[in-house]
Amino acid sequence: MKTRKRLIALFLLPASLVYLIFFLVPAVWAFYYSFFDWSGFGQNMDFIGIKNYIELSRDPLFLLSLRNTLFILVVGGVIVFALALLLTVLVNSGVRGKKFFRAMIFLPNVIATIALTTLWAFVYNPTFGLLNSFFKVIGWQPGATFMFTSMDHIFYAMLVALIWIEVGFYLVLLMAGMDKIPLEYYEAAKIEGANEWQMFTGITVPLLWDVISVGTVLYTIFALKVFEFPYAFTQIQPPTTIYTVGMYLYIEGFGKRDPIYRLGYATAIGVVLLLCVILVVWLLRRLMRREVIQY
Amino acid sequence: MNTTMDAPNQSRIRQGRWDLAKKWAAHIPAYLILGAWSFFTLFVIVWLILSSLKTDNELFKDVWALPTQIHWDNYAKALFAVDLGRYFVNSVVVVLISVVVILVLSAPAAYILSRKQFKGSNLITLIFIAGIGIPLPLLFIPLFNIMTALSINNTLYGLGVLFVALSLPFTVYMLTGFFGSLPVELEEAAIIDGASDFQVFFQVMLPLGMPGLITAAIFNFIGLWNEYQLALVFLNDPNKSTLSLGLYSLSNGMQYTGDWVGLLAGVVIVMVPTIVLYIVLSEKMISGITMGAVKA
Repeated sequence: MKTRKRLIALFLLPASLVYLIFFLVPAVWAFYYSFFDWSGFGQNMDFIGIKNYIELSRDPLFLLSLRNTLFILVVGGVIVFALALLLTVLVNSGVRGKKFFRAMIFLPNVIATIALTTLWAFVYNPTFGLLNSFFKVIGWQPGATFMFTSMDHIFYAMLVALIWIEVGFYLVLLMAGMDKIPLEYYEAAKIEGANEWQMFTGITVPLLWDVISVGTVLYTIFALKVFEFPYAFTQIQPPTTIYTVGMYLYIEGFGKRDPIYRLGYATAIGVVLLLCVILVVWLLRRLMRREVIQY
Repeated sequence: MNTTMDAPNQSRIRQGRWDLAKKWAAHIPAYLILGAWSFFTLFVIVWLILSSLKTDNELFKDVWALPTQIHWDNYAKALFAVDLGRYFVNSVVVVLISVVVILVLSAPAAYILSRKQFKGSNLITLIFIAGIGIPLPLLFIPLFNIMTALSINNTLYGLGVLFVALSLPFTVYMLTGFFGSLPVELEEAAIIDGASDFQVFFQVMLPLGMPGLITAAIFNFIGLWNEYQLALVFLNDPNKSTLSLGLYSLSNGMQYTGDWVGLLAGVVIVMVPTIVLYIVLSEKMISGITMGAVKA
């Protein structure tokens, strides 16, 4: 019994300690910091209660960031899962090169964010970008002169690129779930005279439900904290129209080109972010819960 | 075989061909959509690699044209003039060491949590998994304070510590699931033979769990190699930059330097290691995603 305890301590403590000091403690501390007016590392901290949160609720830039983030979560999420499901069904429909298609669609997920944003900068660039020059070649004038990266369009341009990346991840997830569905189900349904759509809604979706449910939780966590891709999508001074909550937190805390250092305020943004994750994940678990189908 | 076929046989063959053609035709929409998606991805990446071998003038004159002459000097410039070579070395060192440490910490912890149930072990597992849901930006400022207090802010060493700590939740989750799915018979046999817990771990569990450990290593390597947000927040000294962060700075300077082909060469340099890993080990990578999320 004694050696067992020693084993547990020796094996579990190192990981737990690192996790505690560099992950859990800062996460809890964030709540504390969010009640202070604190304008720089090494500066005085003034306790101001929930004033940071009150200011947030009236801060138009924060509300814009929140709106953008929720747009990525909801609209982006619906598109990502619809496309991932569609492509999963197509890849599994008996075409040749199943593994090749899966590998190609997943590929953006292994490439550095900064490489992907540079790539898309070339796709969208108004003077020598691939899209504009492509439309010029096929002679479609409105497309040839369309400004994909203008203030009004840049958020959507970014979202399209983000969807292109994410679909691959959820495709792999859904395909793995699909491999677990016995083929006999489809054969039996075919004999009964079911069409493709009936098989999709009657077999594929219900039996994939658990995987879809896990996937939506993963996407929620990803979408709410998204920072790297939109932040690198524009150079040095991102226009406010592309702000996400994660970006706004970083900009308030550390500044863009010129430092800002509103540390208490920025941390309050982080706390709101965490509460959003908890709330949405809880909602999803409730909405998507149903009887487990045994098969 | 008869050279002349009787009529029913011929019509059966014709029918068979017709069925085959119909089967192919039914797949045309699938091929079109999957082909278009894959083609786009492949095209932009190949285009990027080809463009990185042009001169800036060539690039701006005609983005579709192939390079008239291969300009490897773009790469030489990126590696040595803008210091990406140094960043590359920084990234290799900090990422490789971090991945090793992540495994050294996670594997024993996952072994205990999946195999040696004790009072509170489920709660500890849950606390580790909860970390997956904590948004990283929340930790930026408190971590900055801790790092400064420990005097490891703005060092590659400190960045490595963060890489390890922040990768633990997912790795422990992944490995707990993987170890949990392994058969217990071999361990039991080893215990009957009088092996100690340590021997069981090192001589049975680790060899058996190797596929899971490799997957976790690849997963963390790619994630940490590609990340730039932690480097952005916790490294100020340009000399200590990681490759991803160095490229971020380079792309920010583009509006002043205008050397796009140099940036593209840098982008290819950051892409190559992970794409090569992916080509060699894509099955392992893909199984990593599903290791936790899709129950076997």
